[in-house]
Amino acid sequence: MNLGSLKIEPRLEPKFSWQLLSALLALAMSMIVCALMLSAAGADVGKAFYQIYKGAFGGWNATVKTLVMSTPLILTGVAVTVAFQAKIWNIGAEGQLFAGAMMAYWASTFLSNSPSGVVIPVVIMAAFIGGALYGGLAGYLKARFAVNEVLSTVMLNYVIRYVLSYLLVGGSWRDPSSFYQQTPKVAEAAHYPLLLAGTRLHLGFMVAVLAAVTVYFFITRTSLGYEIRAIGFNPTASRFKGIHVGRTVVIVMLISGGIAGLAGAGEVFGLHFRLKPDISTGFGFTGIIIAMLAGLHPIGVIAAAILFGGLVNGGIRMQIFTGVPTAMISAIEGIILLFFLTSAVLTRYEIKRVKADG
Amino acid sequence: MEPLLRTQALTKKFHQVVAIDSVSFDVRPGEIHCLLGENGAGKSTLAECIYGFYQPEQGEIFVEGKPVQMSSPAEAIGRGIGMVHQHFVLVPTLSVLENIVVGTNTSGILLDLGRAEKEVKRLCERYCVELDLTTKVWQLPVGQQQWVEILKVLYVGARLLILDEPTAVLTPQESRALFEILRMMTRENMSVILISHKLNEVLQSDRVTILRKGKKVATVKTDETTREELTAMMIGREVEINLTKDDPVMGPEILVIKNLRARNDRGQAALRGIDLVVRGGEIVGIAGVAGNGQKELFETLIGVRKARAGQISLLGEDITRRSPKYIQEKGVAFIPEDRFAEGLVPDFSVEENLILGSQRAARFKSRGFIDFVRVADFANKCIADYEIATPSGKTITRTLSGGNAQKLIVAREFAQAAKLTLANQPSRGLDVGVIEYMHQVLLEKRREGGAILLASEDLDELYNIADTIVVIYKGQIMGAFPVAEADIQQIGLLMVGSGTDEFGVACRI
Repeated sequence: MNLGSLKIEPRLEPKFSWQLLSALLALAMSMIVCALMLSAAGADVGKAFYQIYKGAFGGWNATVKTLVMSTPLILTGVAVTVAFQAKIWNIGAEGQLFAGAMMAYWASTFLSNSPSGVVIPVVIMAAFIGGALYGGLAGYLKARFAVNEVLSTVMLNYVIRYVLSYLLVGGSWRDPSSFYQQTPKVAEAAHYPLLLAGTRLHLGFMVAVLAAVTVYFFITRTSLGYEIRAIGFNPTASRFKGIHVGRTVVIVMLISGGIAGLAGAGEVFGLHFRLKPDISTGFGFTGIIIAMLAGLHPIGVIAAAILFGGLVNGGIRMQIFTGVPTAMISAIEGIILLFFLTSAVLTRYEIKRVKADG
Repeated sequence: MEPLLRTQALTKKFHQVVAIDSVSFDVRPGEIHCLLGENGAGKSTLAECIYGFYQPEQGEIFVEGKPVQMSSPAEAIGRGIGMVHQHFVLVPTLSVLENIVVGTNTSGILLDLGRAEKEVKRLCERYCVELDLTTKVWQLPVGQQQWVEILKVLYVGARLLILDEPTAVLTPQESRALFEILRMMTRENMSVILISHKLNEVLQSDRVTILRKGKKVATVKTDETTREELTAMMIGREVEINLTKDDPVMGPEILVIKNLRARNDRGQAALRGIDLVVRGGEIVGIAGVAGNGQKELFETLIGVRKARAGQISLLGEDITRRSPKYIQEKGVAFIPEDRFAEGLVPDFSVEENLILGSQRAARFKSRGFIDFVRVADFANKCIADYEIATPSGKTITRTLSGGNAQKLIVAREFAQAAKLTLANQPSRGLDVGVIEYMHQVLLEKRREGGAILLASEDLDELYNIADTIVVIYKGQIMGAFPVAEADIQQIGLLMVGSGTDEFGVACRI
């Protein structure tokens, strides 16, 4: 019997069905490894998984909480995705999130007596501008002085955190009535409206989904989106064909930073109603993982962010009911990412059976 | 006479592609045997099988009548077969002598450079090669680096030398010197396998084996064949080698370059006062060894490199400091030297690459968005008009062959009326069929009254299609000649920047 042999070859055109299959395969593999890890830690694997699921998507309340948790993650994920279309590593979504939150908060202080219809659009715009300026700064440094964006964005994360600390400790933003480093509560009119009464799901979630969809069309359908992808793949050919690479780098970082800035406003005006250093627990960094997980597809980012939001909430429940620390969730996130990145090979190659000679 | 080397029905496959298909041929002692074929015809694969780099699936190799298994290059070297690859494998920071000796079996743990030096010197004298053995390889011109490669092979006692496209980088003088050395070797009963697709060289061999699509077409005696016959066998049909070229109808001056100066990426002077005029209906061919400013000249002309001094005028308008976008929109088409690195976005689809540069053009947009239906229509028209072989417009460009990638670039660049066409090495690495196609396209532009500036290292190409040949050397134009009056010897000398024959063979027999 002649079975022939199997050959691996690059795919000419990636197929969606294979992308889906590889995603499912990666998910299954990560669950197996996570199970091994949980059992090594002495936990009851079935119970731990059940509690994660319960906390993430087990019922209406849990699901809505997951959406709330995913809101900033969608935005930071999309922010990283946009930048990476131009092969720019925006490690600074965390800092841009704070820059957006600070700009939005600052703008809101001028509008303490304005109605919602005025103050909320202003807050959203200010958040975008704040993040955009901060992201654009890294873009400008890269375009003008060839400063590596990984270094500049990482460093800028620290700068903005310390500026905020300064303002909250000795500066004018501190709530004098509070022991904590935080601002006073923002005006009622500046609160993001709720999407579902009785829950904490706020306007920010809609902003996030809208941002993802807009970015998708922007990247795939507009001339600027085309140029962003072109400079990402081949800056030399792009420059030869008249695309202004430096200017495009700045623009893409303005957009990326702006979107990350929206995440900051969502947390301040939708959830905490005041600005404090812990409005983000590393959302900007988780956004990088989410963007990779989503294969840099803005719509995929929504799904990946909801998954991660669920893991965070599920992890909390797991800790309460099984005693397995939530730190395990970070490990699970890492494992999922690793399997997704490896399984992506499936979408780029195909296995063909070739007839042996004869 | 027993052949030195014989292959019997050699077959080598890569995946499902048959690279060489049942090829039998033989090499006699003391002959220069040429392997002729288009890119991808299997010449190099055949040579690499003989050299033990690839193992054939089927067939046998005989050395002096005895069947052998060439399991590795070391085995081949042991049997007296040496190969000089197209891309040299020299250590630039080591001396000539060290490069020759290092890695050979004669060197033990300690290098006995003294003994090796005597041996290499003896070889140099025997073949009249003048080389300073203590010079670092990076200081040598390309032609002499090639001699180092050949000496490496001779040093280990090869009887059969395989040369893969040896003259791709040489000036006519260097190439002539190479052949004189090869002849000296064959007189001493050494054999040479020469891989080439340049007919001028092929005609200097003793016998020619022609390969097409992995199959052997024929083996012929060189003095019993003609250029035309060889070409027809190589590409499987008759080809007009000399394209029909109408007499030039010189139009107005389209491109005028005055005293242009620019620097290269390392900040050194790359263009040192270029003066050049290209008229409508004229092809100006730039002859020169790569690295003498061709790349910088084209980059300055399309606006991606800053001119330090001088002036570039396009139809009377000063475009010296204009942006690449502006210059393109003025009707300048550019066919860059490195197709995939400079001309295309390899990860884009064919469609997307076809609109590179005109992604903002109104004809590809509707309501502010890129209209991919219009783009696909345009792409399908280009694919048909320019005979681009691709499964579809959605195919990732990276998977195209060099010839099809080149056609894609031409289709895109000529989508708008090009008044000035700039082409840097447009036929490098392409098959004869595509090269011929490129020439037709350029001549068609010329007929339409376009101005064409073409740089090529292949002088045959320039003689075939150019009206005027200018020679560039170290960023300067050494001379301009109407093609009918251009003497190839003189051009060759100007290409190395001198009136003296500095690359000649030291002693002649």
